[in-house]
Amino acid sequence: MELSTLYILFGDLTQTRRAKALKNILAGRRTVSNLYWALEYDLLPYFGALRDFKLGDEKNALDRLAHLGLIVLTDRFSFQLTNQGRDQQVNLLKLLPPIKKLTIAAQNDVVRFSSRFIFATQIVSEYSYSNKRYYPQTIGFFDDQLIKRWFIQNKQRQLPNYFQELLDRFLTQLHDDLLAEIFIQSLTGHHFSGETEDQLSAKMGVPPTIIQLQWLMLYADLLTRVQQIPTSPLKLLLVGLARSPMANSTNKTLIMYRNTDYTPEQIASRRRIKLTTVYEHLLEAAIVLPVNQFPFSRLLAEPTKQALESHQPSIIGEWAFKEAKAAIPDLSFFEFRLFQVLDKKRKNDD
Amino acid sequence: MIDLEEQLHRYSDFKSFRPGQKAVLTQLLNHHDTLAVLPTGGGKTLLYQLYGAITKQRVIIVSPLISLMQDQVSRLQYLGSKRVIAITSAMAFEERVAILAHLNQYQFIYVSPEMLANATVLAAISRQETGLLVVDEAHCISEWGPDFRPDYLKLRTIRKQLGNPLILMMTATATKATRTDILVKMGFSPENVEQVIMPTNRANIFLSAKICLNQKEKNQVLVDLVSQLNGAGIIYFSSKSQAEQMAATLTQQTGKRVMAYHGGMANQRRFRIQQQFMNDAIEIVCATSAFGMGIDKANVRYVIHYHLPANIQSYVQEIGRCGRDGHQSLAILLYEPNDQYLQLNLMAATIPENQLLAHLYQHPNQLSQNDAFRVIKYYYDNGKSFEQATQIFNQAKLRRQRELNTMIRYIYTTGCRRKLLLQYFDETIHDLNPDLCCDFHTDFWGHWQSFNQQYLMQTQSVEKKPLNDWRAILDRLFLLKN
Repeated sequence: MELSTLYILFGDLTQTRRAKALKNILAGRRTVSNLYWALEYDLLPYFGALRDFKLGDEKNALDRLAHLGLIVLTDRFSFQLTNQGRDQQVNLLKLLPPIKKLTIAAQNDVVRFSSRFIFATQIVSEYSYSNKRYYPQTIGFFDDQLIKRWFIQNKQRQLPNYFQELLDRFLTQLHDDLLAEIFIQSLTGHHFSGETEDQLSAKMGVPPTIIQLQWLMLYADLLTRVQQIPTSPLKLLLVGLARSPMANSTNKTLIMYRNTDYTPEQIASRRRIKLTTVYEHLLEAAIVLPVNQFPFSRLLAEPTKQALESHQPSIIGEWAFKEAKAAIPDLSFFEFRLFQVLDKKRKNDD
Repeated sequence: MIDLEEQLHRYSDFKSFRPGQKAVLTQLLNHHDTLAVLPTGGGKTLLYQLYGAITKQRVIIVSPLISLMQDQVSRLQYLGSKRVIAITSAMAFEERVAILAHLNQYQFIYVSPEMLANATVLAAISRQETGLLVVDEAHCISEWGPDFRPDYLKLRTIRKQLGNPLILMMTATATKATRTDILVKMGFSPENVEQVIMPTNRANIFLSAKICLNQKEKNQVLVDLVSQLNGAGIIYFSSKSQAEQMAATLTQQTGKRVMAYHGGMANQRRFRIQQQFMNDAIEIVCATSAFGMGIDKANVRYVIHYHLPANIQSYVQEIGRCGRDGHQSLAILLYEPNDQYLQLNLMAATIPENQLLAHLYQHPNQLSQNDAFRVIKYYYDNGKSFEQATQIFNQAKLRRQRELNTMIRYIYTTGCRRKLLLQYFDETIHDLNPDLCCDFHTDFWGHWQSFNQQYLMQTQSVEKKPLNDWRAILDRLFLLKN
C-alpha cells in the first residue's frame, strides 16, 4: 500500500504525528512505544489493521506529501496535515466505507478470511457449472485443508444458491453500486477471473491503495455479517481468525500479577524474563485494557501520582520524561508512562 | 494388454496422445526405467498422472522449480488428480510437519531435491510405497549443464533408499552428451534404460530475430509488433522491473490488455493474472522466465524475447510455450548490442568470484548459511581443493560464455535459424517448409504484417464480454438449478 495515502487518511490537522509510529501502528508492530502512540493518537482500535500489507518507505511518502503541500513537517519525521491535506482526507474518506470498519481488521485476520472466501467462491462457482477441470487457488496447506473439509461437509446445502443470496444481500445493502462492483471484481469463478487492484484503479480513477482498503473493509464487513448468522454454512471458514489484543506472554505476566501479590521483580524471576520485560508487559496491558481492568493503583503509588498531578503540563502527551524527572527525582520511566496512559484513558472515557 | 487410448479418455479430457506420450507410458507399464526427452508442451505431466491413475500407485516427482511447484500441483489438480501435495523449503515448518504426518493420503508428491536430501523428509517418504519416481528437469544432474543442482547427484542413492522404484527421467531439451551424463550420474548403463526422444523441432513456430540499433529502436519495434500481432502473446524479460515497466508502456501505447507476471508477485495476484490470461481476458503477459511452468495455454500465438536468454536450451523451452494447439505461431527475438552485457552481468551473479570462493574456503561454516553457496558446498564437501574449485568455476564461466555466444550466433546468423537451433541438439530436418520456417528463407521483416494476417489466428475470448454491472456478474458466477 502507498504509505502517502495512509498518511493522509490517518494524519491530523492539529496533532503532530510521528510518521514511523503511525506506520508501525497500522502494521501492528507491537512495542510499548507504538502502542502508546496509538493511544495518544486515538488509533488504538486500528492497531495492526494493515499488518498483511507492505507499507513502503516513510521518507519518500513524507517528501512527496510535503512537496504537494498536503502536510507540513514539524521535524524530519513528524507531520501535520495542511488544510489542503485535510480536504484530500475528506475526499479519500468519501471513497471508502465508514473508516471504523477497518478496526474489524485489527481484531480479526480479515485478509485470511478474504482468501478463504475467494477460494470458496471459486470452488462453488465451478461446482455450480459441474466443472471439475479448473486451476484451484493456492492459499497455504492448512487453509487448503480447511476449505476441502468445509466443502465436503456443506456441498449438500445448495451452496450456489446460498452464495448467490448472501452476496446479493450483502452488496445490495451497501447501497453503493461502485463499491459492489469493486467487491465483485475481487472474486474469481467459472470463466470469471476478476480484476487486480491496479486494473480496477485504472478503471475507477482512484489510487490502488484505496481499492485495497475498500476490499479489506468490505471483507471485514462481510465477516461480521457472516459471524452473526449462527447457522451459516460458512461457519467453518471463520475458525482461527480472531486476533488477541495482547501478546501471549503479556497475558501471562498480567495474570500472575493480578492473581498473586508478587512484585514485578518476583514475576521476572518466576517467569525467567528480564525485569524490563515485565514492565513492558504491564504497560502494554495498561494501554490495551479498559481502565477498570488494570491494577493502576497497585503500580502507581498515590504519593507519586499526586506528585505527577501537581507538575503535569496541560498536554500530558507532550510531557517529556526528562522534565518530569527534574521535578520528581525519584520518578521511574515506568511510573511516568503509566501516569500518561491513565490520564489519556480517563480522558477518553470522559 | 492395456488399451492406452481408453485409459486416456477415462482419466483425462484429452482426445489423443501427443507424440511420444504413448511410447513412454508403454515403457513404464512394462516396468522399464525410462529417459524421456519431450519438447516443452509435450505433455510431460500427463505421463505420470496417467501412470498413477492406471496403476493406482504412489508417484514421487522430484522437481527443481521450488517457487513454481505449487503451480505444478495446481496443474495436476486441474488435470483431475486431487491427492496432490508439494513439499518444499518454502513452506512453514508446521506445514511440513503436518504434511509428513499424513503423507499416506497423497498419491502424487512433489518434492525439491534439497528437501529429499533432508533425512526426516526422506524417512517419511521411504515409509510409503513408491510406484514411480519421476525426475523432472533431469538435465539438472549434469555438472556441465547450465542448471546444475548438486542435490540431484544424491538421487541415485535416494532411489535405493526408496526401494529402487521404477524411474522416469524427463527433460525437454538435452543434447546427446547430457543424456549420457544423466544416465551415468543416476547409475544406469545406457542399455538398461529405455530412451524415448522426441524431436526438439516445433514445425509450427516461425523463427525470427531482429537486431536493433539501440534500446529506443527496440522499444519501438516491440510497440509496433504488439499493436498489430494477432492473438495471445508472451514477452520475456530478464528483469522483473523491466517486465513491469514495459507492461505499463504497452498498455498505454497499444490499446491491448497487457499485464506483468513474475515470481515475485503475491499468490493471489499471480493467480488472477494467470486466470485472466488463460481466459483470454488479457492478451499479453510481460514475463520473466518464471512464467508458464504450471500452466498450459494452448493458443499462445507468439513469444517475443525482449532480452535474450542465457542459452539455446532456455530459448527453445521458452518459445515452446506458443503454438501448443498446433496452429501456426511465431517466435521473435529482439536484440540490441548492449543486451549481451545484461546477460554477462546475470551470469557473473550466478558464478562466485574468486575472492568469495577463497573466503568461503577459509570459513567453511558459512557455506551452510546461504542457499546460494550450495554448489560451492558440494565441491567443498567432496574434498575439492580451493584451486580445483576455482578451476571448476572458471570452466563453468567459460562454458556459459560459450553458450551465450552460441545464442548470439543464432541472432546474427545469415543462414537458416531452424537448422542452427536443431544442430545444437544433434537433430536434422528433412521436410522443411521455407515459407513457414524462419526469416532466412523469406523477407519476414519486410512483410510481417501480412504473415500476421495470413497465419496468426485471432483469439476468441472464453470470458464473455466484461460486465460492469455487479448483479449481472453475480448471476453468471453461479449457475442455479431451480
